Amino acid sequence: MNAARPAEQLLWWLAAIPATMVIIVGFGFPLVQSLVASFTRDGVLTLANYELVYRLYRQDVVYTVMVAAAGLVLTFGIGIPLSGYLRLHHSQTAEFLLKVPLFVPFVVVGHAMRIFLAPRGTLLVFLHALGLVSQDTTLAISEGWIGLSIALAWKHLALVVLLLMGAFRGVGEEYLEAARGFGAGTFRQIWAVMVPMAAPSIGLAVVLSLTSMLASFSIPLMMTKGSGPQMLMIDLYHRYGQHGDFGTASAIGVVSYLLAAGAAYYYLKGVARQ
Amino acid sequence: MNATGPPAPSLRGRPRGLPALALRAALVAVLLAAIVGPLAGLVLWSVAERWHWPAVLPQQVGLKYWARITQGDLLAALTRGVAIASVTTVAALVAAIPVSYGAARARLPLGPVLLMLFLLPQAFPQLPVFASAAVLFYRWNLAGTYAGVVLIHLVGGLVYAVWTMTAVFRAIGEDIEEAAINLGASVTRTFFRISLPLALPGVVASSILVFIYSLDEFTGTLLVGAPYVTTLPVYMYTASLGYELQIASVTALVLMVPGVLLLVLMERFLRAEYLAFFGRL
Amino acid sequence: MDVRVEDLTKRYGQVTALDGVSQAFPSGALTAVVGPSGCGKTTLLRCLAGFVAPDRGRLWMGDRDVTYTQPQSRDAAMVFQSYALWPHMTVFENLAFALRLRKVPRRDIEQRVREALDLVELDRVPGIGERRPRQLSGGQQQRVALARAIVVRPQVLLLDEPLSNLDAKIRHRVRVEIRALQRRTGITAIYVTHDQEEAMSIADMVVVMEGGRVAQAGRPEEVYAQPKSPFVAEFLGSTNVLAAVMDPDGRILPSAAGSLIFRAEDIRLASPQEPAPAGSAWVDGEVVDVLFLGAGYRAYVRVGEEVIMADHRTPMPRGAVRAVIPLEKVFAFSRD
Repeated sequence: MNAARPAEQLLWWLAAIPATMVIIVGFGFPLVQSLVASFTRDGVLTLANYELVYRLYRQDVVYTVMVAAAGLVLTFGIGIPLSGYLRLHHSQTAEFLLKVPLFVPFVVVGHAMRIFLAPRGTLLVFLHALGLVSQDTTLAISEGWIGLSIALAWKHLALVVLLLMGAFRGVGEEYLEAARGFGAGTFRQIWAVMVPMAAPSIGLAVVLSLTSMLASFSIPLMMTKGSGPQMLMIDLYHRYGQHGDFGTASAIGVVSYLLAAGAAYYYLKGVARQ
Repeated sequence: MNATGPPAPSLRGRPRGLPALALRAALVAVLLAAIVGPLAGLVLWSVAERWHWPAVLPQQVGLKYWARITQGDLLAALTRGVAIASVTTVAALVAAIPVSYGAARARLPLGPVLLMLFLLPQAFPQLPVFASAAVLFYRWNLAGTYAGVVLIHLVGGLVYAVWTMTAVFRAIGEDIEEAAINLGASVTRTFFRISLPLALPGVVASSILVFIYSLDEFTGTLLVGAPYVTTLPVYMYTASLGYELQIASVTALVLMVPGVLLLVLMERFLRAEYLAFFGRL
Repeated sequence: MDVRVEDLTKRYGQVTALDGVSQAFPSGALTAVVGPSGCGKTTLLRCLAGFVAPDRGRLWMGDRDVTYTQPQSRDAAMVFQSYALWPHMTVFENLAFALRLRKVPRRDIEQRVREALDLVELDRVPGIGERRPRQLSGGQQQRVALARAIVVRPQVLLLDEPLSNLDAKIRHRVRVEIRALQRRTGITAIYVTHDQEEAMSIADMVVVMEGGRVAQAGRPEEVYAQPKSPFVAEFLGSTNVLAAVMDPDGRILPSAAGSLIFRAEDIRLASPQEPAPAGSAWVDGEVVDVLFLGAGYRAYVRVGEEVIMADHRTPMPRGAVRAVIPLEKVFAFSRD
């Protein structure tokens, strides 16, 4: 761009306008509008929407954070040891299998998990076929927070393993060999060497996954029925779609922005400390 | 292999002992069950004409639900989705390329700032923003129209396009372009004659990413397009709402086809960085 | 502890890294394994350490067959070429890592770490234990890597080109310190390097490798003064190789039938008029260039179609000369 004549530079700036317009019109304006609407009711600036959110949905805020946290624990509780193990003992089959959920859309994950974890769903059918459960058993997790966390973890595990394997592969082999030479087994190589040396990447993966899980909509929509505690995005959808209450819906939206921002803030703090 | 002596314990990460082999086999088996299990359920449901607990397989199996692909509403949703995805892909790439090239070649701090701007839509929860966009679109008579849906798809699709194309252009060394400029070519001419042809594989990769993103897009389409413009994901949602689990499963599997194709191709052709974007589909 | 390998073989696809190597490494001695890149010395060391499993052959430490034993069960500690100090741990934690794994009580850990730092002469540096590797100089990092290996009190110390990342001046100093450390502790040390001067200066025994095989092994002076093959003769020291043979009078004649190998420091440049003394080989040539090396001078002498190097403390005149070499310093090999 430095070598372009002024007329050329203008041309390039103009060419960048469509993309910028899309972002402004499709994202920027709506974002600002939702912020303003959250503080507006009946044309007046007020906190009434937030009061309503507090009254009706504060338990759902807790529920959403809980589900996201459980999903996070599952994802990283499985993802870190798995990636560490695969870094040390390669398995192409395992790595291929772990890439599959990347290509399954969120909605499909929701539907698949719904029928998999249903009271008499396919999981139970398979278990029964293996003789592990009796005919009278039912599975009561599909709609609650456990089923949701499992679905969220299933989908996010693929991306997390991808990111973690990249980070773990970036840890030089000599550091692991040195640890091995002094007696470290697989477990200790992972936790004493790999994880600390890949900590920034792990932090980033945590923030990405957490914000995605907090804001999840498609999966809860497919899996839950509407009674009992709900994920915030479901509340928002119903508030807007069924009640037409854009103001309160926007307030819920702002709460979700804050939750996501909170996670990002802790990450940036951690990065800044280094 | 040493012919004398017992099987050797693990050396250099190559497991040769029995316990290590068993662990790997167990790992692959567990992963297979955990990952394929839910998807196998979809397949079974898509052919289950009659299925009651506790049978392992449906009592009556048939392709009657698959036949629905060729008729009526499912086919309509599919073609609509493909059409929208095609338009979105072309629009996204045409719009993204100038921005990406600028971001790749710009002096600091303009480049990173530009990239951050185009990352924002993915950093915020989608639903509240899309709901607000739907309100705006309704006011502008864009709700329920193809244009509106394409626009909302572009918001997310542009993120993928800009980020991948920026990486692609960065990978093309500036010295190749400087050689042309040195010989008298203008920046624009250099771009079209040298940079863009070199970036073609990246353009193909970006197109695939955006296409699949648009095909699979649910939230925006639900808010902006429904009930007039529906794509396959929305169709699946409606089917599952109405307890038509078989139709929903058929639709889900159809939705997975482009992704699975990409996964297989990707093992051979695409680079791993592009993969990371898929987690946000 | 004696270390011994027998018929050690390792192939990587088409490449044979180790070709039936058999060698003993004496207990309590510093044995240097030298050779050019690709000669197999690193593969040999990694087999000894346990990071590579040989395709064939056996490996003993003491009287234990450790061919396929895990690295940590071998009582051999390795110093890596890149040091491999864990960057997120302090010096103390780096040293304590192995001790913690062996469940050494905390007070003993502190004491042993102090001892190890003392042995590598790092204990004088204030607060060394709390520093991270990136805060240390190259030489200090190298000593920490050494200390980490000896803190576990191994029977065998394996060193993989430990000085290659250091500046030349520091290398000279540190190698002497490594030798002193080995002498003090009496540990059996196996030291891999591509630098033949480094190897000879500190080793009790030198093993010269080429193409996956041991070309020659013995005391440095022995191997230097009595090379058994052209390769060994040429590899050690500053050597000249001439395609030539000697006639009964000691005159060197160009010939494709043989190789004459002799060292730069063994050549005396005399006037062509002076007859060569008995018991010498000689050849006439012309000095084409003289380089100043600091400690002396190196003359490049054209002899026939080839150029040889001759080292001397004082500068040499240009022009025609007669190069005279004592017969016992000329190694003659036939080419076939």
